Amino acid sequence: MSGQPVNRRDVIAGAGAFVLGFYLPPRASQAQTAAAHGAAWYTEPAVPEINAWIVVEPDDSVVIRIAQTELGQGVWTSNAMMVAEELQCDWSKVKPIYASANRDAREKAPAWTLDVPGKGATDPNGGGEPTFGNRDRTGGFGIPDSLYRRMRTNAASSVKDGRYYLQLAGAEARERLMLAAAKEWGVPVDEVTAKDSVLSHSKSGRSTTYGKIAHLAARTPHPNPEAIALKPPEMWTLMGTEQKNLDIPMKVTGETKYAIDVRLPGMKWAAVKTCPVYGGDVKSFDAAAVRGKPGVRSVHPFPIPDSKLTRGRVFSGGVAVVADTWYQAKTALEAMPIEWTVPPERAVFNTANMRAALLAALDAPGRVRVNTGDVDGVLERAARADRVVEATYSTPYLPRARMEPGNATVLVTDDRVDIWIGDQSPQETRFSAAQITGIPEENVYLHLCHLGGGYGRNGNGPQAEQALMIANANRGTPIHLLWTREEDFIGTTYRAMGMARLKAALDADGWPLALEVRTSMQQDGFGPDASFDVASRYYVPNYRFSNHTTNFHVPVGTRRGVGQAAHEFYRESFIDELAHAAGKDPYRYRRELISRTALPFKADMIKALDMAAEMSGWGSPLPRGTVRAIALEERGVETGNSATISAMVHTVSVSRDGRVKLERVDVAHESGFGLVNPLSVKKQIEGQITWFYNDAMHQACNIENGAIAENNFNTFSMARIDEDPLTINIQFFPTAHWLVGMGHDRGTSVQAALANAVFEITGKRFRDLPLRQHDLTWG
Amino acid sequence: MALVLNVNGVRHEVDVDPQTPLLWVIRDSLGLTGTKFSCGIAQCGACTLHVDGQPVRSCSFPVSLAVGKTIKTIEGVSSDGNHPIQRAWKELDAPQCGYCQSGMIMSALALLQRNPNPTDADIDAGVTNACRCSSYHRVRKAIHLAADLMKADA
Repeated sequence: MSGQPVNRRDVIAGAGAFVLGFYLPPRASQAQTAAAHGAAWYTEPAVPEINAWIVVEPDDSVVIRIAQTELGQGVWTSNAMMVAEELQCDWSKVKPIYASANRDAREKAPAWTLDVPGKGATDPNGGGEPTFGNRDRTGGFGIPDSLYRRMRTNAASSVKDGRYYLQLAGAEARERLMLAAAKEWGVPVDEVTAKDSVLSHSKSGRSTTYGKIAHLAARTPHPNPEAIALKPPEMWTLMGTEQKNLDIPMKVTGETKYAIDVRLPGMKWAAVKTCPVYGGDVKSFDAAAVRGKPGVRSVHPFPIPDSKLTRGRVFSGGVAVVADTWYQAKTALEAMPIEWTVPPERAVFNTANMRAALLAALDAPGRVRVNTGDVDGVLERAARADRVVEATYSTPYLPRARMEPGNATVLVTDDRVDIWIGDQSPQETRFSAAQITGIPEENVYLHLCHLGGGYGRNGNGPQAEQALMIANANRGTPIHLLWTREEDFIGTTYRAMGMARLKAALDADGWPLALEVRTSMQQDGFGPDASFDVASRYYVPNYRFSNHTTNFHVPVGTRRGVGQAAHEFYRESFIDELAHAAGKDPYRYRRELISRTALPFKADMIKALDMAAEMSGWGSPLPRGTVRAIALEERGVETGNSATISAMVHTVSVSRDGRVKLERVDVAHESGFGLVNPLSVKKQIEGQITWFYNDAMHQACNIENGAIAENNFNTFSMARIDEDPLTINIQFFPTAHWLVGMGHDRGTSVQAALANAVFEITGKRFRDLPLRQHDLTWG
Repeated sequence: MALVLNVNGVRHEVDVDPQTPLLWVIRDSLGLTGTKFSCGIAQCGACTLHVDGQPVRSCSFPVSLAVGKTIKTIEGVSSDGNHPIQRAWKELDAPQCGYCQSGMIMSALALLQRNPNPTDADIDAGVTNACRCSSYHRVRKAIHLAADLMKADA
């Protein structure tokens, strides 16, 4: 091929003049964004804000700034509800917009909002127990002191972590509105009431609206903010009620501006190809092959993004074509010969040899995480009595495969960076922008968009970094980078492929005396390191849990449910196998093993199991080929602090020709001290049932010669509406702690339920997911 | 060469390669961004719009085939967001991330226009769009509600 060596400084001009003259002055881009219909991004308020979270406009509109990203989980609404509950404003007047990640780089949060009030997860009057409660300036492993605190959207923690400072923001604004009204009327503030955006003084009969008094409240400091208390759950009037999501009306008309919909004057489009073997780079490419093609402006090689900017993951280097339209850029790029430099030690990987390595790792010494009693001795004695059950399970590499392919629009000028993006880590993207362009974070502006699916923060991948590199080479021109679907499978991070071997000794009645759990995963696979203890919830007097790691090259990250979701498949499947070996009912077997523990929330777990069983009609007859399977879902119960507990019964049929149908799901879910928006919780549960159904039935990404094999929706399959359960019953029950969150690990039980149902109906036990790779026929 | 397109009742002239997929003409030449790109190979349905009333996956449909026909996109479903199908979607809070929903609504609308009383089996066969958030449970209910609302409006 007529390639040429890569010179990183080259910007190869394509056909026609490469226009560099377009320049957006710093303020113009903001004015432009404000005018964009359907955009949710930050705009400077026309009237003074009351505090950083709240602007009340003269027409009584209440603008509430949202520091997490709406990606379907309902945060746009639930975050606003937490502010509005305390503000006591008219909910119908609330308009969320995104908080400014730029202001967050320049301003600090008030000192009196920094500490979590109350006494932890079991104190109904406090702020609960945030996951990221520790201070961390970068926000990487804790919460920064910057204006909007933690802007990440991850770990199902938006409600749990943000509640206290969002409630405080609403309460402070309400009290300042009341102070301003009292001063205006010359009456004591404790005679003023605030409700539904109206301030009243009953003695004098005076009243006004928030909008009329807001300009005064903005100039009225709070005399004693440290004394502001959170409204406890029994006083909530908005939180805890089902509220329709505020982003929905624009999502049914096509008006919502996702990042892919951003259009700017003079904007050019970039299509990219990166080396499909992670860590590979461009060896040569033939820019001449695309010169003169319609719309093509320039060609840019870009290097492997600095792993410090991509959370330690090593992605690939690549080439971008910039053109007037994306279709032109993509078509040209497809026609351009590119040769890759592929690290040979990475190209040798394929699913088979990686699986063999994981199996071998299970036999090698591992890192022991829990070791109680005498596991080896008990297993040895049980083996002599033939009372040992052993099983090895596996789960494949899994991507997020969000529907909106990775994209970002970046404009770099000499002293400012603007980024339009749907992003679960805007503070980290701001840092990347400063590192790549040399422009300080204080001059980086993110215009945040709703995301077309998220499913795990690290899945954001390097689209922002790639776009920044290309835009930095084209200063003055807005560059909209968009991945093809195939490129999105390269640019995402995966849940690591994993294996587990579980071995139990049973007593004469079938109850476990000892349990050994070995899991293997790649070293940075967010399973071992996040300590998802496979069997902490079920009672066994002798127990050992060890992690066995290998080194693979696939970038792995915190995909929805993280390693815990795979581990729940291993654990709940094995408990079903033990119940079967013991000849016991899997519901009562679980119930008994929970009741034997000393876990802090065991009564709540038993309640969940009982309630789900009752809801499902557990034990009542079903047609041949249809069975029920039950499993517990919990997070945090071993801590005695925050937890989220649910149980689900899945009614599953398998036809003789092997078609699996999830017929019905009965869900008993705790509500803790209170859910913020129960409607969003229901939607999240409904969605996650089918998310994990997909994991169990359909989805796998194989590795061939170091690259991901399934990279579009023809080979990477996904359930459609015909596989969605017709009946999903959800009931909540109150418990006496705050929840951990429920956006990523509900519905995990469907995996073991499907495998167990297949076993009960067909007599065949399959332990390697996804199930569709197996012969599920029977009869 | 200029092609003439009729989109949502408005006549447009576009100067594009006739092989360009209709999706990119709709999104980039006409600026109607409600129709979404996701897979590019007609698998997921995020790009679904109507050509002469039939649902079409526009990412794999050359613009030249749409010339002389009537094209309807999500923006053309109603002027105020209150078509019965949109009211039903809002009533059930059906979307999550919402990215697939323009295509989902266009597929469901095509189904309802040819079958005003779809059964669950009709929905299974007729709406094959992919939703990664798995909004299917509410989408199914919304299709049934939309059928009722469309009859009430008729």
